[in-house]
Amino acid sequence: MSGLVADRPTPGPPRPWSFPKFERREVAGGRVITCHLPGKPLAVISLVADAGAVTEPAGKEGVAEIVVRALSEGAGPYDAYGFAVAGERLGATWRSHTDWDSLRCGFEVPVGDLVGAAELLAAAVREPHLDEPSLLRVRDERVDEIRLDQSQPGPRAGAAFGSAVWAAGCRYAVPDGGTAETVAALPPDDIRAFHVGGLQPDAVTLIVVGDLDTVDTDAAARAVFAGWIGGRAGTATTVPPEPRVEGRRVVVVDRPGSVQSMLYAGHDGPNRRTPDYVPMTTMALVLGGMFNSRLNYRLREDKGYSYGAFGAFDTRRDAGVFLARSAVQTEVTAPALADAVAEIRTMHDGGATAAELEQARSYRAGVFPINFAGPGAVAAGLADLVVHDLPDDHYDRLRQEVLDVDLDAVNAAAATRLRPDDLVAVVVGDASAVVDELRETGLGPVEVLTDEG
Amino acid sequence: MLTVVPVLPDYPYTLHTLDNGLRVVVSEDHLAPVAAVNVWYDVGSRHESPGRTGFAHLFEHLMFQGSTHVGRNDHFGLISAAGGTLNGTTWCDRTNYYETVPAHHLETALWLEADRMGGLLDALDQQNLDNQREVVKNEKRQTRDNQPYGAWLDLVHTHAWPKGHPYQHSTIGSMADLDAASLEDARGFYSTWYGPDNAVLSIVGDVDTDATLAAVRRYFGGIPAKGAYPPSPPSDLPARIGEEVRLTVPDRVPVPRVFVAYRCPPFGTPEFDALELAAIVLGGGRGCRLYKSLVLDRGLLQAPDGDVTSTWPFVAGATVFIADLPAREGADIGELEAAYHEIAEGLADGVTEAEMERARAVHTSMWLHHLATVDGRADTFSQLTTLFGDPGLVNALLPRQLAVTAGDVAKVAREYLRPDNRVVLVFEPAENAEEAA
Repeated sequence: MSGLVADRPTPGPPRPWSFPKFERREVAGGRVITCHLPGKPLAVISLVADAGAVTEPAGKEGVAEIVVRALSEGAGPYDAYGFAVAGERLGATWRSHTDWDSLRCGFEVPVGDLVGAAELLAAAVREPHLDEPSLLRVRDERVDEIRLDQSQPGPRAGAAFGSAVWAAGCRYAVPDGGTAETVAALPPDDIRAFHVGGLQPDAVTLIVVGDLDTVDTDAAARAVFAGWIGGRAGTATTVPPEPRVEGRRVVVVDRPGSVQSMLYAGHDGPNRRTPDYVPMTTMALVLGGMFNSRLNYRLREDKGYSYGAFGAFDTRRDAGVFLARSAVQTEVTAPALADAVAEIRTMHDGGATAAELEQARSYRAGVFPINFAGPGAVAAGLADLVVHDLPDDHYDRLRQEVLDVDLDAVNAAAATRLRPDDLVAVVVGDASAVVDELRETGLGPVEVLTDEG
Repeated sequence: MLTVVPVLPDYPYTLHTLDNGLRVVVSEDHLAPVAAVNVWYDVGSRHESPGRTGFAHLFEHLMFQGSTHVGRNDHFGLISAAGGTLNGTTWCDRTNYYETVPAHHLETALWLEADRMGGLLDALDQQNLDNQREVVKNEKRQTRDNQPYGAWLDLVHTHAWPKGHPYQHSTIGSMADLDAASLEDARGFYSTWYGPDNAVLSIVGDVDTDATLAAVRRYFGGIPAKGAYPPSPPSDLPARIGEEVRLTVPDRVPVPRVFVAYRCPPFGTPEFDALELAAIVLGGGRGCRLYKSLVLDRGLLQAPDGDVTSTWPFVAGATVFIADLPAREGADIGELEAAYHEIAEGLADGVTEAEMERARAVHTSMWLHHLATVDGRADTFSQLTTLFGDPGLVNALLPRQLAVTAGDVAKVAREYLRPDNRVVLVFEPAENAEEAA
């Protein structure tokens, strides 16, 4: 076609970018981070607390998520419905979230109503009713939700993977949101106790992001912190994470008639503050973090086994995991798993090429401004600084480290952080169709679990 | 607490049409050094021929497999190396392709889009087709066939529109049709539908409008217009289904779940605007009627965020209004369904001004959220220009929808949320789902 331009354009000079400037200060005794993003009429006001799943007592897995949901089920002068309507009439969307290392809640709200949203947030965290009928309803709804969630192959594989990788008794062996059994067994008093222990003024940080030109952020912060007399923040006594020692093996969760197998394969890994964080995660991009990564290329673009294949490290505050995953059609379960493991081993043995590293480096450095495009993403990034105790210039420094990382460091991370001989593989699928072939892969003993879901 | 009227969107834009018919929307936004490029082709699963369902979407996959000057892996490779993100999607009324890149790589994205708009056939081969056919079949397995309740979407398409209507099949299509798709089909589809005069290109971000238009002319200007496209398949149909269509679907699922779909006027009509607000009053957010009654008061429904109802933005003949009702464990599914119908039909009896205020505020925030990123805005410019020829609707649509009155909502509820106009799908847990599904 003669009308097309044959030569690929050469890019102009890169334009400068840095993580948005933000300010840390203390208002009414509370820690506050504000970040002015001009031209963003929807703001985020969010509270982050050191009350994630790892701070849950043994046997109470999932209580953090129950607490954060119960906050909006009646607080201050509002009953559950009144609280919902009060926020929504401001155009404010309540968002709550828990993960391994934090509990977060707050609103996305038009900037003009930010102070009003702060008042509602204050009621939720300081004066939640936590009355028995509401707590029981939230708890039982959550049990139903977990069952619904676990009926999907991905979440079921994730739960099986956690308990296959981590020793029984350590928190990571149970999903961060708990199981239907642990949540169903939570008494209201334990839910209230976790609220008191986890949400105290000296254990939370308020984050406000958006076009704050016309917003009195001090008033918003005072609404949250002024007069909040804390009790004592709970001291989390977490069991140090400890991987299981059985070595490599395959766990099949049997779902007769499945037309696909959900594959999860990996092992434990380092925490967020590991010194080789940048080379390790850059290596993982080459292996499974981009469309042209080795895992996706092999399983999707080369073999057509799957809609997609991924691999990444999940670095938590105490430890982490390396996980490769893909949903593949049942007939090719064993060869697909073998291919994925072979890619992990090849990366472990030989590392990345210079060209792959260049692509991963420029991709990762380039997407910073795209990933931090709005108030929600910036607020989440700021919360991560708090959770992992990272310096204020972290993101700019991280981007520079990404640009500077060299092949030796990346390949050293491949050799030490990938452990193909320790892989645990979980397969959620039709056991009768896949077990014999899985045994022949030599990926370790194959154990079949009846699916309780 | 005073409610402050939120700022309505007022995004700048220009619309130009190249000599070959390509419509180009450019909207400057200098808040971050990024640019979003988005192309909508006015072709979707609605334009597929009988026996070739799923083809528009399969074809979208082939658009990532190289073109005249672009190697098989280069589309993803070059955008990734530029530090950008990209993807494509297909639905009934469209196929879209998009990249978000650091702004100094804008021309790379334009060059890639132009090359496949004008030169796909040079790279299309049997190997690519066979590979992507398997990928798409696995996409169907992953998103439908191997998911609990995964059949619901196809069933809505089959039963909410009459036989032969272009929306009567879903975008993913059937395995048999995917298997039957040939290289000849792919060439024919491209030659029929893919051309500059059947596309809208939107560019939003840290760009200069004049320089961007010059670049667009450079890369796209030489692609010849096709001049004519097949007329849209006929889409006229009765305004209502005329009866209740009810199906019970045994499936391997943990709890019963009811989906209700109503036929209603398409996106672009005043009735659709009113139904958008009705969806929020009835089933959007935790201040909605369904959450209050079925979640809080009666414990029958699982909907932790209160989001129960939605509308699909289809434009040909009629679209649907959907309610998704998963039962609480132990709840009686018949009681849940009956309670739902009573509340949904109750909208016809009237809506309070307080409910309307809440719905308007929720709708405004959702729309602002949607437009907050350059990629979301670029997609919306492309969408509204493709469907209605008017990029200005990015700013004008919201005020129009906010003018919907309580009376409008009651009226559309009366006319469309009614027993003789609904498809009811009841999923029930079955012992042997293999035979059931």
